[in-house]
Amino acid sequence: MIKAVFFTVLTVAFFYIIWINNIFAPHEHYEMPAQYAKIAEDVSYAKEGKQLFEQNCQSCHSVRYDAVYISSVQANPKLKTLQEQYGKVLPKNVYEAVFYEDLMGLKESFGKVPPDLSTMYLVKGKEYLYNFILEPQKVLPGTSMPAVMAGRPEETAKIVAYLKSVAEPSPEEKNKRVLMGVGTIAYLIVMGILLWVWRARVLKRMGLH
Amino acid sequence: MEASRRDLMGLAVGGLGAVGVIGVLYPLLKTFAPSAASLAGATVEVDVASIPEGQVRVVSWKGKPVFVVHLPQGFQWNGKVKEERNVKLLQGQDAYAIVAVCTHLGCVPLWKPQGEADYKFPVFHCPCHGGFYSPWGDNIAGPPPRPLYVPPQKREGGKLIIGEAGFVKELT
Amino acid sequence: MLGRIGRWLDERAHLSELWQSQMIDYKVPKNLTFPYAFGVMALVAFAIQIISGIFLTMYYQPNVHLAFDSANYTIMKEAPFMWLIRHVHAAGANFFLAVVYLHIFTGIYYNAYKKPRELTWIVGWLIYFVLLTTALTGYLLPWGQLSYWGMVVTSEIPTSIDSAPIIGKLKLGELVSVLMKGGYEIGQITLNRFFGLHIWLLPLILLALVGIHLYLVRAAGISNPEGKEIDKKKEGVPFHPYMTLKEGAYLMGYLAVFFFFVFFYMHHFLPPDNYDPANPFKTPAHIAPEWYLLAYYTIFRSIPDKFLGFVAFNLTLVFLLILPFLDFSPMRSARNRPLFFIMFIVLVISAMALTILGTMPPTPTNAMLGLTFTAGLFAFFLSLPIISIIEWGWYKAKGGDKQ
Repeated sequence: MIKAVFFTVLTVAFFYIIWINNIFAPHEHYEMPAQYAKIAEDVSYAKEGKQLFEQNCQSCHSVRYDAVYISSVQANPKLKTLQEQYGKVLPKNVYEAVFYEDLMGLKESFGKVPPDLSTMYLVKGKEYLYNFILEPQKVLPGTSMPAVMAGRPEETAKIVAYLKSVAEPSPEEKNKRVLMGVGTIAYLIVMGILLWVWRARVLKRMGLH
Repeated sequence: MEASRRDLMGLAVGGLGAVGVIGVLYPLLKTFAPSAASLAGATVEVDVASIPEGQVRVVSWKGKPVFVVHLPQGFQWNGKVKEERNVKLLQGQDAYAIVAVCTHLGCVPLWKPQGEADYKFPVFHCPCHGGFYSPWGDNIAGPPPRPLYVPPQKREGGKLIIGEAGFVKELT
Repeated sequence: MLGRIGRWLDERAHLSELWQSQMIDYKVPKNLTFPYAFGVMALVAFAIQIISGIFLTMYYQPNVHLAFDSANYTIMKEAPFMWLIRHVHAAGANFFLAVVYLHIFTGIYYNAYKKPRELTWIVGWLIYFVLLTTALTGYLLPWGQLSYWGMVVTSEIPTSIDSAPIIGKLKLGELVSVLMKGGYEIGQITLNRFFGLHIWLLPLILLALVGIHLYLVRAAGISNPEGKEIDKKKEGVPFHPYMTLKEGAYLMGYLAVFFFFVFFYMHHFLPPDNYDPANPFKTPAHIAPEWYLLAYYTIFRSIPDKFLGFVAFNLTLVFLLILPFLDFSPMRSARNRPLFFIMFIVLVISAMALTILGTMPPTPTNAMLGLTFTAGLFAFFLSLPIISIIEWGWYKAKGGDKQ
């Protein structure tokens, strides 16, 4: 019995550390003021955020999963014909090949093609994005990203909310998933208990218990 | 008593098991449902002036070919159709869109402004099995069981917007 | 009506005879403990991987330009419910390996590798090895930063052979590395090759091995926690319903935990860094193998010499393979073997510590700890022959060999 408890605790603790919360591994942590964190969390600011994105970021960054391309591409009539052919979200190789010159132009000025931001929220998280957009040099010294949003924390948070809305499922979809998850788990637990009770009955009848 | 209770348990396990199987099959089968992009009601804008009068342009709407017909001023048509359906729906429009999929077996009909075979006036002719349609898509002759489908569409000045409810509200 | 169809089928296929002989007349010991259920959990995990994997291939595109978008746009956003399938497949891979590890440790604990089950153990080891390869090939497919750089590091590991004294001259490691990648860099050919391996070759091999493994379990009979072979006629209980319903109930518990992760905690199974498309010019800040390889990785990097490190971690795998021959004691099951029990705890703690050390930065202290636990791991394997000799002595003193 003691052995069983010992091995169970050891196993659970092990998987807790490697899967859920690794207390031994280093974590980077960025702070952001609570009121702006609230805005960045709230995808209802996404529409405003998108407008701000178009004004401040789109000259260099695309959000391909939202069919938002860099400004010079957006102004190119070719884009529309391509979208009719390939769909609103252009395949990456088509986009990069057709608008090669636009992208290389950016590379010349910045040293590299500014990354597409479709999944950036998932990679970096809101705290990093908020701090980085506000003060790029402080977070990542030497970066070629200009401090376009300097001194505009609220608007920065709204841009983060927009990036979140592109990267993550919508709130309704999230609620649906939570409901599905709870239902599935409840089902499995009930089924497990039922099987156990049934087994006890069957075994009693067979005289095996 | 004991037997019926056992049966009840068995039934409960079996029934719940069936629910589980359905629960697994549902998302798996559901992955075959149309994707988000194809569900999003795409709209197509067509500049009517860019189509010569009496001519037809084929555009793609929701992955289907659609005829955009631009009729000349005071267009007269003397044919006889089996069923006057689209012509009533599209009355008074000099430009309109009809789904270019033959209602017989899904071929794309051809526009014959000079007529074809016995029909000496503008018709749509389906080359697969010889179906004939009026310029409004009402079936004249041949195997097609019904007129061509008409997508929702709206007229805004010189533009025809396919996929938005206007003079045609929904796909009919 | 249904009954008639059933009878029609049965008269021809003799399914009920098969059921009777394989499920009911098949007798198992009554005292099997909870860890015996890890076997059936692994089987279910395998089935889940196959089904979810088949659905993923319908949308995934093995093309360096499109792979990332097909995984993160088409699958996660466009196609209905494919996010769920991907979550299931990603979490499922981790759960599969976790359950396989638990199954392996259970086998070690109860000495299930001993005569007549050596072959079952060896086939099981092959399953484990092929499974690791499958996991490794599948990891590249989403074409994210971790996928890409994980493979860069992995394909560099064989080159450690080249720093060996004499055989290093042959550049065997480089050859292996180039053969893995299909060239000198990781590109389209690598991706296509790994895709083919991951969805066809390796699963088919796994399927065959799992079949053989199950057959061998049946052929040799299931082991016993008490370490003695039972007289099945007298002591055995019918596999169905005694064991099926019990393991069925455990399985529901396992699936409940699994789906908790699928719906609510994918952070570890779909890590943030892998949402960054592969970039051959930028290494991510933290790059370490997946947890199921970390113990080997820590052994590899704790040993200062690259070639020796390579030898050491491969030796661990070899030890695991020849375990039935290292341990030739007449006694079975850790329940009856106090010395073995102590060494088993050393093994478990060392393996866990090595895994956790793999997630930590490679400081000198951690390297020292790594060496210590590597020693612990090796101590387990190397102590087995010694323990066996001692236990033969006890066995003879009790007059055991005369029976």
